[in-house]
Amino acid sequence: MSESNGSGMGGGGKCPFATRRGFLAAAGGLIAAVGAGPNAEAATDTKTVAAAKPETIVEPFWGRHQGGIVTQAQKHTYFAAFDLTAKNRAEIVELLKTWTAAAAQMTQGKPARPIGSDLSVPAGDSADALDLSPARLTVTFGFGAGLFVKDGQDRYGLAAHRPAALVDMPRFNGDQLAQNLTGGDLSVQACADDPQVAFHAVRQLARLAYDVAQLRYTQTGFLPNSPEGTTSRNLMGFKDGTQTPPEKPTADNPLSRDDVVWVEAEGGDWMRDGSYLVFRRIRMALEHWDRTVVDFQEQVIGRRKYSGAPLGAEHEFDPLDLDATDKEGNPVIPDTAHVRLAAAASNDGAQIFRRGYAYNDGTNVTAERWPPWRQGLEYDAGLLFLSYQKDPRTGFIKIYENMAKLDMLNQYTTHVGSGLFACPGGPAEGEFIGQRLFEKA
Amino acid sequence: MAAFIRTIAAAALSAALTSGALAADGQGFLETIKRHTTLTSAVPENGDQNPYAIVVAPVSAGLIHKDDVLIDNFNNDANLQGTGTTIVAYNPATKKTSLFAQLPRDLAGCPGGVGLSTAMTMLKSGWVIVGSAPSTDGTTATKGAGCLVVLDSNGKVVGTLAGPTINDPWGNMAVVDNGTTAILFVSMAGFDVPDYRKIDPATGKPPIIAKATVLRIELAIPEGQPPKMVSQTVIADGFGQRADKDVFMIGPTGLAIGPDDTLYISDALANRVMAIPNATKATTSAGIGREVTKDGLLQRPLAMCWTPNGHLLVTNGLNGQVVEIDPANGKQLYARWIDANKAQTPPGSGDLFGIAMTPSGDGFYFVQDEVNTLVVAR
Repeated sequence: MSESNGSGMGGGGKCPFATRRGFLAAAGGLIAAVGAGPNAEAATDTKTVAAAKPETIVEPFWGRHQGGIVTQAQKHTYFAAFDLTAKNRAEIVELLKTWTAAAAQMTQGKPARPIGSDLSVPAGDSADALDLSPARLTVTFGFGAGLFVKDGQDRYGLAAHRPAALVDMPRFNGDQLAQNLTGGDLSVQACADDPQVAFHAVRQLARLAYDVAQLRYTQTGFLPNSPEGTTSRNLMGFKDGTQTPPEKPTADNPLSRDDVVWVEAEGGDWMRDGSYLVFRRIRMALEHWDRTVVDFQEQVIGRRKYSGAPLGAEHEFDPLDLDATDKEGNPVIPDTAHVRLAAAASNDGAQIFRRGYAYNDGTNVTAERWPPWRQGLEYDAGLLFLSYQKDPRTGFIKIYENMAKLDMLNQYTTHVGSGLFACPGGPAEGEFIGQRLFEKA
Repeated sequence: MAAFIRTIAAAALSAALTSGALAADGQGFLETIKRHTTLTSAVPENGDQNPYAIVVAPVSAGLIHKDDVLIDNFNNDANLQGTGTTIVAYNPATKKTSLFAQLPRDLAGCPGGVGLSTAMTMLKSGWVIVGSAPSTDGTTATKGAGCLVVLDSNGKVVGTLAGPTINDPWGNMAVVDNGTTAILFVSMAGFDVPDYRKIDPATGKPPIIAKATVLRIELAIPEGQPPKMVSQTVIADGFGQRADKDVFMIGPTGLAIGPDDTLYISDALANRVMAIPNATKATTSAGIGREVTKDGLLQRPLAMCWTPNGHLLVTNGLNGQVVEIDPANGKQLYARWIDANKAQTPPGSGDLFGIAMTPSGDGFYFVQDEVNTLVVAR
């Protein structure tokens, strides 16, 4: 969306608050009053941003692929799934146009819509990101099965275009999925280095969807400020993400990240250059984990806790030796260790690209599912698992089928939410997200 | 699940050696065991959890191949105890696991419904008999008396046994199988077991009810027809049983019939192994019988089986060990940590239920209740 279009949406006439910068200038002295630093000012529009190393705070929105998939992970995410209440396909198209325009604006550090000057009406943007950097915001859209078919109904005449890979997720062993954390017709993954920027983005989009789509669930996530060049630790204290598809094939891994992530011709025109997102909300029994001796934690994961090295190796990036045995023939990396079961070598070469975050939703009363069956107030914290792949049937579903049954880590984790979304290829400037699907339909 | 066991198993073995003088003389079975290999998940498509009984098929019949390992599940997919309805079969030759039977949750003739327990056997005639100790919410607050269910070799229910002498068939069965006749020994652990929330103020735990029995059931098995009960006799009674919030209930669990017609019973709550003489012939109850061994390496003894050298293996409920006992003299020879899962304290606590020897006698199968797997130790 161009800036002039944005002005036009403000209710007609030239709006002084069409951008955050415009609003700040009009407010006069607000920057000083709120104590915002140079970054805040830099964020007010892209021109100023450009002077302040835009590559550090602005991620591209338009392009072959959607942002937020292979984009270097931002520190925070706000994930949302929506149920469509639209009466017809035209309303969905309109929503996607509006969302695309708003997301493009917000990734540039601008309000979702012009804020407007008329104080007697709701503003075009909630303004909670006004003085903030774009913080590398990306907004990634996905289509759930419910867009195509819901309860057996082809609500929007799109059933024939449902991709074969957009399957109904099978039930996995141990699943304790809550319906209010599962499914969804549309998904929005907002990621940014500032949690308020990420939330702001979803909040604006949800607001723009009133009467067409309603929130089904949301989930925040965060990453630690790990030192540059190191692998982040998850809430279990282990390095998480050592094994990830490389940017280019290596001697150890014949598949590049692009090979793993992007849909090619098999996805049809509208899914080409897109990817499939698997969302799982995985609660960790952290109290149980904290009572577990470290050497057993290492057996569960299959890696040393502090160095990240595979069992039987010395360094984090040493290869997994799944064939190594002790003198009695027992495997050095246990049969049911997490890394063994997740490894491509254990799954006919299957790989996925994980882009997960930790989550922490405070505490609530729960009953652990494993001995000693502890019950009481426990952390509702764990992993917001987000993974991208070109086909979930040969990605997450294939890999997790076996892990769900055998992984020792299952004694400490419970999957309580789940979703699968087809994320179309990125929009060219002037297009809206998923446009090629709707043109075809 | 093997490598992590190694360290602990070694430590446990050395601890056992200090307490069992015979070990140094090489007269035990457990000293020959070196490795534990996870064979399969016991979870079928419907998500049932908590594997309990293990039975090695004595014959090929219907869906079952000789030497298949049948495993039943006590919990449903929500992990509620007393609600599991499935039996899976692991084929050691193909290494494949398939669903053998999925019983209806509600079954006419089975009071309280179906929640498959540690009581299971397959007869040479191909019939499978399995116990139900049911609940609707995973606790004894909703428990029913249950029954014994008879299935054909295709997993189809053909009948039930229920009545005043049957109340939560609980422990693994001891069986004398003569083909056209058979004798089953089944422990009953449900008589007057209250809601788990009823607490004995003296102990702070649910009360121990000394009403558990061992029922002997004599079957006639006419050619091509399901087994018929010819007679039943309570040959032992007065064992302790107790409701438990976490493990549903605790009662006599392991049964093994010896060549001298002595029936051995693991008395879980009293932490001992008892013996009942003349088990196939007795016409009255021997009460709790004679004590064979108590305490020592035992930590809530549960399932029990024979080794080829005439010793008993007993799994511990309060740690992940199996204990080898010479029943002739009551000596405890070794304890081996077969489930050293340190997700529990002590390792493997609450994890072991079923145990069965491999057909060749070179090792034994056991279930790891906490991770729903079948493991072989050799």
